[in-house]
Amino acid sequence: MATPLLDVRDLHTHFIARNLDNEIRTARALNGVSFSLDGGKILGLVGETGAGKSLTALSVMGLLRPPARVVAGQVLFEGRDLIAMPPEEVNRLRGARMAMVVQSPKSSLDPLSRIGEQLVRVQRAHDPALGQAEATARAVAMLEAVGIPDPQRRARAWPHELSGGMAQRVLIALALVNQPRLLIADEPTTGLDVTVQAQILDLFRELVLANGIGAIIITHDLGVVAHYCDDVAVMFAGTIIEHGPVAAVFGQPAHPYTRALIASTPERLVIGRTRTTGAPPPNLYALPTGCLYRDRCPHAAPDCAEPPPGRAMGAGHIAHCHFAGRLAEHAA
Amino acid sequence: MSVGRFLVRRLLLVLPLLLGVLFFTFMLVRLSGQDPTAKIAGPTATAAEIELVRAQLGLDQPLFTQFLIYLGRVVQADLGRSWVSQQPVLQDVLERVPVTLELLLWGVGIGALVGIPVGLRAAFRPDGAFDQISRFVSLLGFSTPTYWLGLVMLLVFFYLLDLAPPGMGRLSLMLSPPPRITGSYLIDGVIAGDLEAAHSAFAQLVLPVLCIAIISAAPIIKQTRAITLEVLASDYIRYARAQGLEPAMIRRMALRNAATPVVTFLGTELTGLVGTTALIEYVFAWGGLGQWGLNAIITGDFAAVQGYVLALALFSVIVFLLVDLAVLLLEPRAGTRA
Ligand SMILES: Nc1ncnc2c1ncn2[C@@H]1O[C@H](COP(=O)(O)OP(=O)(O)OP(=O)(O)O)[C@@H](O)[C@H]1O
Ligand code: SF4
Ligand SMILES: [Mg+2]
Repeated sequence: MATPLLDVRDLHTHFIARNLDNEIRTARALNGVSFSLDGGKILGLVGETGAGKSLTALSVMGLLRPPARVVAGQVLFEGRDLIAMPPEEVNRLRGARMAMVVQSPKSSLDPLSRIGEQLVRVQRAHDPALGQAEATARAVAMLEAVGIPDPQRRARAWPHELSGGMAQRVLIALALVNQPRLLIADEPTTGLDVTVQAQILDLFRELVLANGIGAIIITHDLGVVAHYCDDVAVMFAGTIIEHGPVAAVFGQPAHPYTRALIASTPERLVIGRTRTTGAPPPNLYALPTGCLYRDRCPHAAPDCAEPPPGRAMGAGHIAHCHFAGRLAEHAA
Repeated sequence: MSVGRFLVRRLLLVLPLLLGVLFFTFMLVRLSGQDPTAKIAGPTATAAEIELVRAQLGLDQPLFTQFLIYLGRVVQADLGRSWVSQQPVLQDVLERVPVTLELLLWGVGIGALVGIPVGLRAAFRPDGAFDQISRFVSLLGFSTPTYWLGLVMLLVFFYLLDLAPPGMGRLSLMLSPPPRITGSYLIDGVIAGDLEAAHSAFAQLVLPVLCIAIISAAPIIKQTRAITLEVLASDYIRYARAQGLEPAMIRRMALRNAATPVVTFLGTELTGLVGTTALIEYVFAWGGLGQWGLNAIITGDFAAVQGYVLALALFSVIVFLLVDLAVLLLEPRAGTRA
């Protein structure tokens, strides 16, 4: 099998800080995240708030700030380990070979630069030989490609003049202008109204597929995953507890948490900002051994004190639960 | 928006503000309970004589009528007469404005020249050694009483070390001032080629300017640091990192975005320090507007107090106007704001 575009292996990210008594305290926020992604595919990353979705994105992109630190694992991007790479080298890939779209588009644009300038800036930062005129032309073409009307004029607009939806299109343009191979979108449509959300996601999917980009969409909206993603990975307490093709995972969820998630969001399948089952998430400073979902799981048994292995449920569908596949269908 | 239109709009806003300031100072002064008539008329005056003085001053009229008369005069640039110096208040004010400005501008200027780079450097490495030291120093600056600082400066640099002249005004008593052009002995001395006077004026300036620089640097460091930290934590700086922009470019972006709030803060600081400057003027017998204004308040010199407050209000208005103009220049996008 060819090397996947992105292969994340057993990634552990901790927040390591000293408390007031000067004792070192470690919050184990990511506890062995593994997944892989091929070009031309869209992976949906879901899970309740605090599960570690954004942190996974930041760890992959090399954007962690102290006290967060990757303490173990690999992020193989086109076969090369980003974790072991010098930071300057990762910086050269970032914004060029791999790009990101974030949640608050309006505040993520430099308030003091016209959007055209920002598009030129990111191109020339990664290709100093590129001429101003050429970069400007590409910027305008890119604005057109993300569906911004009158791109020539819009290139001269300031960020504060844009609506949220327009700003998100600009962010997508910024992310795509250097023709990346990998695109991570962290809740790209949160805060936009529903019709605009759909437009942005349609555009996103279209551009990703047209360019053979591998993309990750982080979202709280299972409906988005169902509509726009090929694969889905469900996160809980810094681990991916179930992943596989969307149809398989949503059709036959094998992990009790995935089932609870789906059961709790029947209408538009939106995972609320609140906890799905009301129970608190595990304390990252003192994680239990064995299955991290144990305290909330209705099926917990003595075996669950051991870390659950990944059980294959079908083509590419894996659930990390001792009893995956052996739980009665109605027992969610 | 053009600069011209901006100025016109701003002036239209300022007029009612100034009117309010005039009204409130007028009323405050009248209601302060001080009555200068007895003092003016002298200790031997009879009740009838006091009444006569009162009528001469117009103080027998109803308050609001008095205000209207006062307003009518102010509009014609007549701020009344100080009953202490017997001089027109306008003249007193105009003489002293450059004297105070000299102190304030040098002091805050140096405070900013030191404080802004220190605050920036501290913010770029928060909690580093430099940050810790600068925070400590700025705390010292905050907790030092102005008056005390002035006295300690004199004690150390004049009395103990004999490095500075005594705090007795703006020029050595042995010299006569250079011909007045700007009102600053230092600058006028240089213009007139009277280097002896310029040198003496400089020596007299050093300690009080240092005091104001120290007092103003503390908040400037603190604010610059806070503003820069906020910018560095902003979404757009984080997103700039996500775009793989070089650190130098991101730093430039941060500086540009921090400039406006820092300049705005400098404006606030400049107007806020006028009061502090008055205390420094006292310690160094500087004889500027601040010292004069404090005296006017103490002696109940109505016209002078009103003139003083009006001058302060005008100063604030001008400073904020300059700040807004600077922001207009710093921020190209400001022109497109509604
Ligand atoms: N400075 C810190 N120290 C300790 N733990 C932290 C710190 N910052 C964040 N965390 C933890 O890291 C975890 C991962 O957060 P992350 O932002 O990745 O969640 P998320 O899945 O993206 O949630 P959301 O859906 O709300 O965006 C959270 O549980 C949070 O409590
Ligand atoms: S391993 Fe045990 S506790 Fe964990 S999800 Fe499966 S049944 Fe529940
Ligand atoms: Mg998040």
